[in-house]
Amino acid sequence: MKILVANRGEIAIRLIRAIQELGYEAVAVYETPDEMSRHIRIADEAILLGDGPRCDYLNIEKMIRAAKKSDACAIHPGYGFLAENPFFAKACVAAGIVFIGPTTEVIANLGNKVIARKIMAEAGIPMVPGTQNLKQGKEGIADALAFAAEYGYPIMLKATSGGGGRGIRRIETDAQMREQIPVARAEALAAFNDDSVYLEKVIINPKHVEVQILADSQGKTVHLGTRDCSIQRRNQKLIEIAPSMIKNQPLLDEICQTAVRAAKAANYLNAGTVEFLIDQEYKYYFMEINTRVQVEHTVTEMITGIDIVRNQINIAFGKPLSFSQEDVQIRGHAIEVRINAEDPKNDFMPEGGKKVSVYRSTGGFGVRLDGFVYQGYIIPEVYDSLLVKLTVHGFTWEETVGRLRRCLKNFAIRGPKTTIPFYENIAREKDFVNGDFDTSYIETHPHIFFYDDDSSEVGKLAGLIAEIHYAKENPFAG
Amino acid sequence: MTRIIQGTPVKEIVETLRQSKGYYITNTARDLSQSDFKNRILLHTDLMAGEKRDQAGYFSLEITGGASIHVDILRKQVDPFLKLKKLRESMPQTMFQTLCRGVNLFGYRPYPQNVIRFTVREFAKYVDVWRTFDFLNYVPNMHAVFEEVGKAGKLNEPCLCFSTGPEHTNGYYVEKAGELIEVTGKDITLCIKNHGGLGTPRRIGELVDALKQKYPEVPLHYHGHNTDGNDVGRIVEAVKNGASIIDGADFAFTGYYGPPPILTVVQTLKEYGFQAEGLDEDAVIETSEVIRDQRKYYEQFESQIKGFQPTVQIHKLPGGAMGSSLEQAAKGGFLDRMPEILHKELPRVQKELGNYWSVTPGSQILWTTAVSNVLDGERYGHPSGDLRNLLLGKYGPFPFYRPEEWIYEKVLGDDWRTMLEEEGGVEEIADIDLAHERYSLAEQIGIEPTDEQLILYLQHPNDAVEFFKFEEKYGQAYVLPPSVFFRKGGFEIGENLAFRDHHGKEHMVEIGPSPINDTGETSVYLIVDHHQSIFNFKPKKVMGQAGEFADLGKEEILDLAKAGDVRSPFSGKIVEISVAEGQEVIAGDRVAIMEAMKMQTPILSEIEGIVTGIHAKKGDALRPGGRILKIDPNE
Repeated sequence: MKILVANRGEIAIRLIRAIQELGYEAVAVYETPDEMSRHIRIADEAILLGDGPRCDYLNIEKMIRAAKKSDACAIHPGYGFLAENPFFAKACVAAGIVFIGPTTEVIANLGNKVIARKIMAEAGIPMVPGTQNLKQGKEGIADALAFAAEYGYPIMLKATSGGGGRGIRRIETDAQMREQIPVARAEALAAFNDDSVYLEKVIINPKHVEVQILADSQGKTVHLGTRDCSIQRRNQKLIEIAPSMIKNQPLLDEICQTAVRAAKAANYLNAGTVEFLIDQEYKYYFMEINTRVQVEHTVTEMITGIDIVRNQINIAFGKPLSFSQEDVQIRGHAIEVRINAEDPKNDFMPEGGKKVSVYRSTGGFGVRLDGFVYQGYIIPEVYDSLLVKLTVHGFTWEETVGRLRRCLKNFAIRGPKTTIPFYENIAREKDFVNGDFDTSYIETHPHIFFYDDDSSEVGKLAGLIAEIHYAKENPFAG
Repeated sequence: MTRIIQGTPVKEIVETLRQSKGYYITNTARDLSQSDFKNRILLHTDLMAGEKRDQAGYFSLEITGGASIHVDILRKQVDPFLKLKKLRESMPQTMFQTLCRGVNLFGYRPYPQNVIRFTVREFAKYVDVWRTFDFLNYVPNMHAVFEEVGKAGKLNEPCLCFSTGPEHTNGYYVEKAGELIEVTGKDITLCIKNHGGLGTPRRIGELVDALKQKYPEVPLHYHGHNTDGNDVGRIVEAVKNGASIIDGADFAFTGYYGPPPILTVVQTLKEYGFQAEGLDEDAVIETSEVIRDQRKYYEQFESQIKGFQPTVQIHKLPGGAMGSSLEQAAKGGFLDRMPEILHKELPRVQKELGNYWSVTPGSQILWTTAVSNVLDGERYGHPSGDLRNLLLGKYGPFPFYRPEEWIYEKVLGDDWRTMLEEEGGVEEIADIDLAHERYSLAEQIGIEPTDEQLILYLQHPNDAVEFFKFEEKYGQAYVLPPSVFFRKGGFEIGENLAFRDHHGKEHMVEIGPSPINDTGETSVYLIVDHHQSIFNFKPKKVMGQAGEFADLGKEEILDLAKAGDVRSPFSGKIVEISVAEGQEVIAGDRVAIMEAMKMQTPILSEIEGIVTGIHAKKGDALRPGGRILKIDPNE
């Protein structure tokens, strides 16, 4: 039996591993710029979708055709690309292919922020105060100003179809509100083909805590505990931790119960993530449900020992969950850092197009790597800059942070600049070490950007010494 | 014993020299490096010597200028400005001296006035003594430099280039000195630039005497070379007759064509009752002790021919050009013709071309002309552009007499008279647009250049850009000792290289193995400060050599395909040849299928035509650029 992996990069490899461990065959797909990617080699079969870039990974028709061609009976979409596209899930079902994820209806409902809020409100899930989709024109603006008058600024103006940090803007004044609503609509129309927008009150410097859910087709829904993803830059997560460091177990238990309720209210199926914001008084608010396997699922796997992707596949094939809520044990702490080919000092500018001249990864007890690059790999410029996820697990928080520091120190990537030295600074920073951080962490700790560049003076000189050694004379001394 | 310290006002320097009973010494480290080691002595070695040299109490250290600026960026990969700044850190007391070729600055052709002034202004921030010359002793060629040095408050040392022959009389030189002094005033040091080490001690003594008679208040600086082994004799006579400053070098490194050892000069002059002013003799000795061990790493740059060359009195090549001339002869395979070139043709050409001073760039013109006269078999048959410019008077007027008409005719052609009339004479070189040059450099290096970078670029545009790219990629390489920088044959596995980087941090690099992996790349493993680093090198492309295969690039493969030569676009196996010989194909037809990494890729024809040859078969493993088949395009 074959399962097609409709994704690339590290997540494609993660999915292929689970597929192969279950005894199935994995079919990889790729676009031409990805022809050096390792996910193609690891798969049992690989199919070229087209020259891309990015468009073929998003092309429902080509993906279905590839599945048909390879005789795959199921498709795992991973995250990003087609993962939360209800039309793709629908097309799979129509083609008689199992879509590994929630039903089309669940994806559609939860993908629409306003419908999702409505479902949650009806189920009594605590919500950030917000509006329905704003009406078009002056009426919508008037409603927006009324909302602002009631709850006060700052307020988030969000695109209903947005996500992943896109289509969000922060509004501080009435004047901005009047000015930004039409701008946001135009932008949302261009980006998501839907100009609906709505408002939400801003929770100042919240913690971002989310709960991993697994729900089978027999109606059993369990949670796998919490994750903290507060360390973000412009709503893009950088470091994820499990479980949450909030030292209030009854609160965390309550949040997990609420997450299960929320999933049930949405008739949830398969793996999902219920995201919450926690304000400084430790009040929590539902934010959204992500209907996919998340980048940071690894930390949950480390502390529970439960393979989320394996369960996703089993659930999709109609099998019941093999464990109950009581079987889920949280053990220790896990931290995941996303090692990206980016220059943190230069506004995280991607370093695509560069060759990974040295790739020396780390290992040992409590260390997990989810990556796809190798020495000699040329990073395509057309995709995201994630090279490898480093996840460390430890019995205590202190041990885990120490393991993270050790791993980062011994992790050598040369060629592109990476986020490694930036994470090294965080792993040494006092508040992080004490487990005390919220979404303002990056902006309130500017000193984490100060480190010696990877292209150190001695690294450069070593390059010259290597040249002299290789050429058997100094080619620059004529 | 009065030592002259860096920073002393010019008037005070000159006054001290006038009052002194003894003599001062310039350590001409740059000239030694240029004459005996092809300019390769690294800043690393000069920094090792720095402390002791500073302690030695020299009048100045000649450490920049001449050809060194170019060699610094081209072969030593050191910024000539940074070099001066680093040396100043370890040598706070000693004046730094340069050698400037007037309108030709540190190069071989005249520069525009604004470039000259800009360059001198920037270098004068670090250079205290400016020895300036012109190979035709044509004073206007040095005006701009004199002026800028004066404005910067630094010491002008105009040169009288010295040579021998019937025209080279005391009368001529005294008059020339007058011309110079008229421009510079008397608060200078006047240099007798004996770049070939020509003439006898007696001749030099007489000349110094004649100059001192006429200009007793102008301190004289005698500069010589030891090519014939007799410069100590000339120095002794110069000092006896009133020279204030003389040139020498550290004995650990003295060779044949550069300056003589300072210590020998000092010991000899002591016998004659002359004291070296401000000199710490122990520090002179200690300097050589410190750097003696480094000399072996420079052996590869020493002259092909060992020993003194007393025949310099015949051929008159300057010390700074001896090594490079012999190297050129060795590389060009005409070492056996050297006696003819040096002892017959060169003196003849010299005389024919006006008996001017054989020094840069005039010496190169004489040398090139003599070599081509001998090797081509036809005298003046293949004149260089520089020789044409010399005859046209672009460098300045001939000092004594013009070459005979037949040479003009041979070099410039039948209408040489008209040419001379219309194009002859020193040309005013138009100023260049510095803002534009700055912009163009910024475009090339991707950052706003500093003034210093712009100056290096104005001297040597291509080499400067290459150097800036080198710096960006490899950092400040001057920290590497010659044992590393000039290593031949690679390092030993396990060898430890220790050095301190530009920021003063200590590092250790251990050499690991260098295996060749399946792709043909060599991986050089280094342990850098206890961390392993790997540097990969693509195999060197050697075309047409047996056993060597050069992979073609994507574009080359496509170009060939468009000409009907179908090549493998990647490393892979032939799964199928889809066509037969004689078959007609159109563009887009599949002609073969290849497989690599489990993926099958069709090979399509780029053109319409007939398959005329099939070079590969099913199962063949091909490298990128491997032949598959040939299609003759339809006309």
